[in-house]
Amino acid sequence: MRDFSYLRAGSVDAAREAAALPGAMLLAGGTTLVDLAKCGVAEPETVVDITHLKGLDTIAVDDRGATIGALARMSRVADHADIKSRFPAVSEALWQAASAQLRNMATIGGNLMQRTRCPYFRDPANFPACNKRSPGSGCSAIGGVTRGHAVLGTSEACIATYPGDLAVALVAFDAILHLGDRQVAVDDFFLPPGSTPEREHAIEPGEMITAIGIPASAAARRSTYLKVRDRQSYEFAAASAAVGIEFEADGRTIRDLRVALGGVATKPWRARAVEEALKGKVLEPEVVRQASLLAVEGAVDHGANHYKIELAPRVVARAILKMGETA
Amino acid sequence: MTVHELRTRPGDAKRGDASDGAVLADQVGGRLSRVDGPAKITGAAKYAVEQQLEGLTYAVLVESTIAAGRVQSIDTAAAEAAPGVLLVLTPDNFLPLRTATDWLGTPPPAVAYCPLARSITFSGQHIAAVVAESFEQAVAAAALVKIAYDEAPAIVDLSDPKAGDGIAVDAMTKEWGEAETAFASAPVRICNAYNTPREYQAPMEPHGLIAKWQDDQLTVWEPSQWLDGMARTYAEWFGVPFENVRLVSPYIGGGFGSKAFAYGYGAVAAVAAKMLGRPVKLAVSRPQTFTAYGGRAATRQTVALGANAEGQIQSIVHRGVNETSVDGMWVEPLGSVTSVMYATPNFSSRQNVVRVNTVVPGALRAPGENPSAFGIESAIDELAYEVGIDPLEIRLRNYAEQDPHAKKPWSTRQLREAFAAGAEAFGWSKRTPQPRSMRDGNQLIGWGVAAGTYPVRRAYGEAVVRILADGSVEVESSSIDMGQGTYTILAQTAAEVLGVPAENVIVKLGDSRYARAGVTGGSRLAGVMTGAVHKAASAALDQLVGLAISDPASPFHTLQANTLVVANGRISSPRGNGPEVSIAELLSSVGRQHIEAKGDTMPANSTVEDRYKNYTTIAMALPHTEGDYSRHSWCAHFIEVRVDEDFGTVRVSRVVSALDSGRLYNPKLAESQWKGGIIMGIGQALLEEGIVDRRHGRIVNNNLADYLIATNADIPDIEVISVGIPDPHSSVLGGKGVGELGIVGVAPAIANAVFHATGKRVRDLPITLEKLI
Amino acid sequence: MTSKTRTPIQLQINGHRHELEVEPRVTLLDALRDHLGLTGTKKGCDQGQCGACTVHIDGQRVLACLTLATQAESRDITTIEGLAGEDGTLHAVQAAFLEQDAFQCGYCTPGQIMSAVACIREGHAGSDEEIREYMAGNLCRCGAYPHIIAAVRQAAVEAAS
Repeated sequence: MRDFSYLRAGSVDAAREAAALPGAMLLAGGTTLVDLAKCGVAEPETVVDITHLKGLDTIAVDDRGATIGALARMSRVADHADIKSRFPAVSEALWQAASAQLRNMATIGGNLMQRTRCPYFRDPANFPACNKRSPGSGCSAIGGVTRGHAVLGTSEACIATYPGDLAVALVAFDAILHLGDRQVAVDDFFLPPGSTPEREHAIEPGEMITAIGIPASAAARRSTYLKVRDRQSYEFAAASAAVGIEFEADGRTIRDLRVALGGVATKPWRARAVEEALKGKVLEPEVVRQASLLAVEGAVDHGANHYKIELAPRVVARAILKMGETA
Repeated sequence: MTVHELRTRPGDAKRGDASDGAVLADQVGGRLSRVDGPAKITGAAKYAVEQQLEGLTYAVLVESTIAAGRVQSIDTAAAEAAPGVLLVLTPDNFLPLRTATDWLGTPPPAVAYCPLARSITFSGQHIAAVVAESFEQAVAAAALVKIAYDEAPAIVDLSDPKAGDGIAVDAMTKEWGEAETAFASAPVRICNAYNTPREYQAPMEPHGLIAKWQDDQLTVWEPSQWLDGMARTYAEWFGVPFENVRLVSPYIGGGFGSKAFAYGYGAVAAVAAKMLGRPVKLAVSRPQTFTAYGGRAATRQTVALGANAEGQIQSIVHRGVNETSVDGMWVEPLGSVTSVMYATPNFSSRQNVVRVNTVVPGALRAPGENPSAFGIESAIDELAYEVGIDPLEIRLRNYAEQDPHAKKPWSTRQLREAFAAGAEAFGWSKRTPQPRSMRDGNQLIGWGVAAGTYPVRRAYGEAVVRILADGSVEVESSSIDMGQGTYTILAQTAAEVLGVPAENVIVKLGDSRYARAGVTGGSRLAGVMTGAVHKAASAALDQLVGLAISDPASPFHTLQANTLVVANGRISSPRGNGPEVSIAELLSSVGRQHIEAKGDTMPANSTVEDRYKNYTTIAMALPHTEGDYSRHSWCAHFIEVRVDEDFGTVRVSRVVSALDSGRLYNPKLAESQWKGGIIMGIGQALLEEGIVDRRHGRIVNNNLADYLIATNADIPDIEVISVGIPDPHSSVLGGKGVGELGIVGVAPAIANAVFHATGKRVRDLPITLEKLI
Repeated sequence: MTSKTRTPIQLQINGHRHELEVEPRVTLLDALRDHLGLTGTKKGCDQGQCGACTVHIDGQRVLACLTLATQAESRDITTIEGLAGEDGTLHAVQAAFLEQDAFQCGYCTPGQIMSAVACIREGHAGSDEEIREYMAGNLCRCGAYPHIIAAVRQAAVEAAS
C-alpha cells in the first residue's frame, strides 16, 4: 500500500470538495477501500474519512418508504425492526452478506460502491491486463478461471460479476439514491461494462451518496432474498434472487412481482421479463419455473460459469414459490 | 519462555470423566483442560513473530509472476530509493549459503543454496526481498521492484498434455498374487478414476519468522513443528555449528504438516539479518502462503476391484499419480490405505509422479492416507451398489484380520468395534438402500459410511524432568504444542508418575535449547513424548525416593524402608508407619535445590551421532510394521448430507465417527483433535481446491475468501466415540495416533452419502454444486 | 489534520490512552501489534477474510486489519487483553472457551472470543443455528467449531441468567 494523506471531513460539503481533488477517495467503513489499497488496486493520494460526519446514519421508515442515511452500517439496517417487517428482502440481503464484523464496519453508501471480486481485477501485480483497472489493457478473465464470472450483462471488455447483495434487493424495489441534491434510480446508478468497464457508477467526482430511499410497496413487504453459494456463510453468491410479490384479493393471482438477480450479472440485475410473464397469472409451480427461465435470457457463459445459467432460474423460482407459500 | 502454570478454577472437577470413569483429571487419561489455555484466551500467548525486539526491521518477499522461464533483469532502483528501505536482496547480492541435509538425512550436494531464483519453475517463486524500517514501507517498496522475464512454456498441472506419464516410483509398488489376471476373471468388476485437487494447509497463523544474529549465533523465532530439524537446516545453510542456532517456537498457530521445515524465506530473513546486523521479521502474506511452500499435491487414482457375487474382493488393481515440482520430489503415497484396508488374495498398486511447474508439494494432514482413502473407500461403496449389499456389510465381509500387505497381525484393530459403535449411534439400520429414497422437501438426504486408517509412526524421544525446591516439577522438551495438547498431556504424565498435582507441573516446550525432540508430524509426538517424560519422571522419582531413604538428613533415613510412596506432593512410607513430608520439605532437609533426570527412549548403545540423526532427520523412525506387528489407528465415519435438488448444494447435517487411537492420554483434547480432522475433511470434500489459471500456471484463489475452508455455519454437531484399547506395541503408554486419523475417510464418506442422496457418483473433489446440478 | 508522514495519534484501548506516531496507512491491527505490543489481536489474512483480528470499537465487533489506526482515534477500542477483569477474572466467554475446549492452536481464539462476546450482546446467540451463522466470520482451521458453539451457548445462558 502506498502512502497517502488522511483527511477527516468536517462536513458533507467539505467531504465533496476534498473528494473532487485528483487522487482523493472517500473512506467510510474501509472494507473495500483499505482492502483494495492493500491489493494495489486502489492507490489514493488522499483518503477523506467521512465516518465522523454527523446525521448521515439515520434510518427513517414510514408508510411512504424508508430513507436510510449513507453512513448507516449494514448491521444496523439489517436488524432494524421496520426494515425487517416492511422490507424483509433488504434485511435478508444484508445479513447474508460478508460477516458480522464486516457488516458492523461497512456503510450502506460504501456497500453500493463495492467493487467486483474478479481475481484478475484484484491482482494487478500478476495480471496487468484489466479493462476495469486500466482501460484498453484487455481482460485477463476471459479465457481464464471464470467460475465466478457473470453470464448476464457482460461485454467483450469485461465479464466481472457485481458481488453485492443489498443492491440486488434495492433494484427489485426501485430504490433511489440521493447524491446530495441529485437523485438517481439505483438501476441507473450501476452501469453495465460495455466498452467502458472502468466506469461502474453514475456518479461524478465530487458527488457522494448521502442517502437511499426505498419506496414502500406491498411487494417489498412480502419479499425475500435467497442466496445460494458453495459455503453456507461468509461467501459471495453463486446466484441469488431478491423477490417481492403482491397477490390479488384471491390470494393466488399475482398482481405485482419484483425479481432481481445477484451473483450472475455485471450489475444488480432486474429480471423484468420474469415479472411481466407472471403478472396476472395464478401462482403455480410449473408456470413459475417456466417463467423463471426468462431471467437468464441472453445469458452468455465462459465455460466454468455455465452452471449459473442453470442455477439462476431455479433460485428465482424457489424464491417466488417460497413467497407464494406464505400466502 | 513458555511457562504454563495450571490454574485450576474452584469448582473444576478434579475427576475426569474418562471412559473408565475413575481417572483423575490430572493423570494420564484424565480430561484436564488445556494448561496453555489461559494464555491463549487472554491474548497473553506470544506466538513466534510477535516477539518485540529492539531495532526490528521488516522484510517483504517479491515473487515471480510467471510459471517458467528466466529472470532477465531485476530493477531495484526505485525500491532502494523508497522511504525507509534498508536493503533489497536479489540473487546478485545474496550471501552464499550451503545446501542443507534434507529431512531424510540425505547428505547434501556440494552446491551453493540461494532461495532467490533466477531460473523460474513456478509462479510465486521468491526472486527478491525488500527490508525496511517499517512493515508498510517494506510492502510499498516491494511493489516497486521491477522484474523482466524470458518466459518459457509451463506445464500447468497433471492434465497438461505436456505433463506425460511421469516417473515410476518403484518404492511405492506393492504387489502380491496375480492382480490383473484375477481382476480380469472376477465375476464383478468395477474400475473408476478418483481425483483430488491441490489442497492447502491454510493454518490461521501464516508462516514467518524473526531472525537475529549475535556474532555467529543465530536466534530464530519461527512457528515450527520441528525445532531441531529446522535448527540443523539453518546451521548447515550458514556453515555454523548446530549449537549456534537457537529456534524458539512457543506457540504454533496451526501447522497441519506445513511448519516442519525451514523454507527459502527463512534463509532470506536470516541473510538479511546478518547483512544488516539487525533483527529481521519476515511475515509471509496470506496469498504468499499458497506458493512459499507446498500444499497437498493434486492426485489421480484408478481403482479396479474384482469381486465375487457376494461382494468378496478377489483382486485390487490400483494406479496412482501425484504431481511434484520441476526440481523437487514429493511422493504422496496413494496405495497406503488401499493395501491395508481389505483382505484380498491379489493386489497391485503402483505410482508415478509427474513434474509440473508448481512449488514442491508438501505434507497436509494424513499425506497419502487421505487421498488413498478417497479412492478405495469410494470404490468399495461402488462395489456395494454393484452387488447390491449394504455399504457397511461389504466392509465387514472384506475385513482384514491381519495386515494383508505385511502379512503380520495387527497390534490392535478395533475397526469392527468402530463400525458397530458408529452404526448404532448413527442409526444406520434405518437407512433405506436406494439412492434418492430419503428426502425432506427440496432436500435429498443421503447417508454414507467410510473407514479410515493411519499408521503408528514411532520414534525415539527424550525429556528432562526436574523436581524443584518448592516441590513443583518442570518438564523440558524442544517438542511443540500446535494445539494437540502437548503441554497438557506431558503435565499429566509427569504428575501421574511423580505423584504431584498437575497444577504443580510446569511444561516448557518450543525452545531448541531444551532436551531434543524429533518432528511433530505423522501423529507421533504424543506417543513419543509421553514415553520419554514417563521415563525421565520415573528416573527423577527414583532419585527422590533414593534420597529420602538413604540421605542421612532425611526424616525417612531411620525407617530402613525399601521404598516410599509419593502422592499428592507428599512422601510417606507405604505402611504409613513413618513421617509424612512434602517434597519441598524433603529437599530442604537433605539440602538439595533440585533433582534432575533426563530420560530417553533411545537404544542403550546409541552414539552421539545416532542421537543427532534421530532428532534432526527422520532416518531413524521405526516402520509401523517393524517386529512382529502391524500398527495402525482406525476409524469409521457415518455421515448424513442434505443436497438441495435444485441447487446442487451439499451440506453435512450429521456426523458420527468411531475411532480407535488406542489409549487416549487426554480424551477431552483427543476428541477436539478428531473433530478438527473431520471438519477439515468436510471442507476437503465440499469446498477446498486450488484453482490454476492454465494460461499462467498460477493459483488464482490464493486467499481465504476464494480458497474456501469450512466456516462455523458449515459444521453440524459431531459425535465422536472412542473404541480404542491400550496398544502396548505402539507406544510406552498404549496410545496410537490421533491427529491425522480423523480426516482419513471423511471425504469418501461424504461422496458416498452424496451418491445415496442423489444417485450421482462424484469422483473429483471437491463436490461442488455444478457437479450435481 | 492532513499528513503523509508519521502523525501523532491517541488511541483509547482497554480503558487506557496510548500515544503513538503512525503513517495514515497503518492499520489498527499493525498499530496494536507492531507499535503497541498488543499482540493478542491476531493477523491471519490481513484482508478481511478470516476474523482473527476482531476487536471492538465503541462496543461493536470489527476487523482491525481493514480499519486505519487514524480512523479509530476518539473511539473506544477493546482488545482481547482488555476483556478479563483487572484482577484477572476471566470473562464468562473466556471461561467457557477453556471449559469447552473451544480452541486448539489458539491463533483464531482471541478473534473468536471477541466476536462471541459481541454476538451474545447483539442478541444473535438465540439458537445454535443463529450462533453458527453469526460466528461464521471467524475461521478456525483446527476445527473447534462445535466446541465454540457450545462455549457461546454456555456463556449466553450465563449472561441471560
